[in-house]
Amino acid sequence: MLKKNNIFIILVFTTLLLIPLLFDIYYVNNISYFILWTFISLGLALIWGMGGILSFGQTAFFGLAGYSFAIISINFADTFAVGIWAPIIALLITAIFGAIVGYFLFYGGIYDVFIGIVTLAITLVLETFMAQTAGPEWAIGNARLNGFNGMQGMPPIGIKISDSKFYLSGTGQYYFMVFLAMFLLWILYKIKKSNFGLILLASKEDRMRVESLGHNVKKIQMITFSLSALLAGISGILYTNWGGYITPSSMGLVAASMPVIWVAASGKNDFFSVFLGCILLVYISQTLAINGAQYAIILMGFILVITTRYFPDGIIFMLKKYLVNKSSFKNKL
Amino acid sequence: MIFLFNLFYQFGDALSFLLLAAIGLAVIFGMMKIINLAHGEFITIGAYGTVVSAKILNLPLPLAMMTGVLVTVIFGYVLERIIIRHLYGRPLDSVVATWGISLIVSQSFLVLFGPSFEGLKTPLSNFQLGEYSYSQYRLLLIFISILILVLLYVFFLKSNFGTLARATIENPKIAATLGVKVDKVYMVTFCIGSALAGLTGAIYAPTMTIVPSIGQAFIVSAFVTVVTAGASPFIGLIPAASFLSLIQTSVTFYYHATIGILALLFSVILIIRFLPNGFSGLLIKLKK
Repeated sequence: MLKKNNIFIILVFTTLLLIPLLFDIYYVNNISYFILWTFISLGLALIWGMGGILSFGQTAFFGLAGYSFAIISINFADTFAVGIWAPIIALLITAIFGAIVGYFLFYGGIYDVFIGIVTLAITLVLETFMAQTAGPEWAIGNARLNGFNGMQGMPPIGIKISDSKFYLSGTGQYYFMVFLAMFLLWILYKIKKSNFGLILLASKEDRMRVESLGHNVKKIQMITFSLSALLAGISGILYTNWGGYITPSSMGLVAASMPVIWVAASGKNDFFSVFLGCILLVYISQTLAINGAQYAIILMGFILVITTRYFPDGIIFMLKKYLVNKSSFKNKL
Repeated sequence: MIFLFNLFYQFGDALSFLLLAAIGLAVIFGMMKIINLAHGEFITIGAYGTVVSAKILNLPLPLAMMTGVLVTVIFGYVLERIIIRHLYGRPLDSVVATWGISLIVSQSFLVLFGPSFEGLKTPLSNFQLGEYSYSQYRLLLIFISILILVLLYVFFLKSNFGTLARATIENPKIAATLGVKVDKVYMVTFCIGSALAGLTGAIYAPTMTIVPSIGQAFIVSAFVTVVTAGASPFIGLIPAASFLSLIQTSVTFYYHATIGILALLFSVILIIRFLPNGFSGLLIKLKK
């Protein structure tokens, strides 16, 4: 059964790798946009699916990374070395912020729904704060924060090899995202199989018991939270790089709900389902949004309510299980 | 004197806002341990119910407000029967499902009523004190919010239903074996919570511009108040709301409204870090 599952994963990635050969650059860029959202979803699947900790504020890390990247990249635009350092420094900032928030949450003894509320409050406050930075006094170096309209015109991620410069855009950006996704999925599976992952999974079932066995659950949860912040940060930087802009509304209430919907509908316990489901759901909402964003959001709301009520394991996960192993699926029904 | 009154007015205004925003959420959370993320949208429904019935049906304001509350209760009842009751005992799932509901409702309002709706005039008049002008209605709200809280407290402490409800939170299984219809208690509690959220919307409807995202103005305040109030929101609500509005008012007074909100959030994080059980936990500890 495991082998069939692997064949399915290989099939999906082969299709993704073949796409730039079959479609023109417009579609490739569009699919890059779908893939960039998978990282924030994988981060949420890590903390929610494996850790049993529901964070509503992943967009806070998304926005923080996006803004940090934009600020660093604009300020050091002249020195080209920034093209590769800006995203790395932005990710470090995000991971440290994630660790600090995680410290307050887990060492403060905050659990269950309270974590959701606190993280939601954090992202909403960041949104409120960034939305009021319209005046000229709100600038970091050369980078104006621009309030509600957000920042734009930041130099893209790039690398300089001898005299030629390579920017992360178009087909190159697409392949970068696909390979990054493959790499991160592999890492996440490794984490799931490691001692660290097992303790995390056990702490989801019974925190007290794992603690009394001598494991430092708080530390493990804090590290996991920081890792999930890092993954959300990757999405934030790639989003900023992809569109060349970042706005406060990317940290708002509607934006914050999207990763939760994608992960819940896909199946929070299985990283690959989350990856695939996220791409499909972003595609669906983007297609629907042509007729007005509100219709897409209403549909996403219905998907969320219906999955939590009827398919707690996630729709994509169940479909995948059905495709991969029809007989065992029937036995389970 | 005027300075003191001004401070009292600002503080009372912030306090009544926090109390009214939080109260419906506090009832549902305190009794059922369910965080209703659609709470803001319940307030939106109450506000729209009031404004639409006042504008289109030309009802007088008090009747329009009652209509707003009634619409919210019906909505809450239907929702509880169709979805929420299947999620008791799955707190994280109920949060996620109510979030979905919140998206559906707020975006449907956007589709149905457009991006903004002409509001009502604030009832009662303003009065002048020194160089400042104050709204009588907002002053009245301070007393209304405290009155609602006292009535609710008496209701849950003295009435027959209150006793059944408290027995149900204490231990649903034993309550059920003693013949309490737990399912019904939850349903009624959810409806009371919905009614209170609708009432908040109805009360604030004449003071605000009515937009589909009006609930979002309340939701953060509601959450932070309930979270700092702790596990038994009825005891913790007033101290939590007073403390938070004190911080918010004083910081806003000296700096800026946004900095006030930031200070509010920051103090919430600190309170939760050092008082994980919130103000109610602290009070219970002090009593012992």
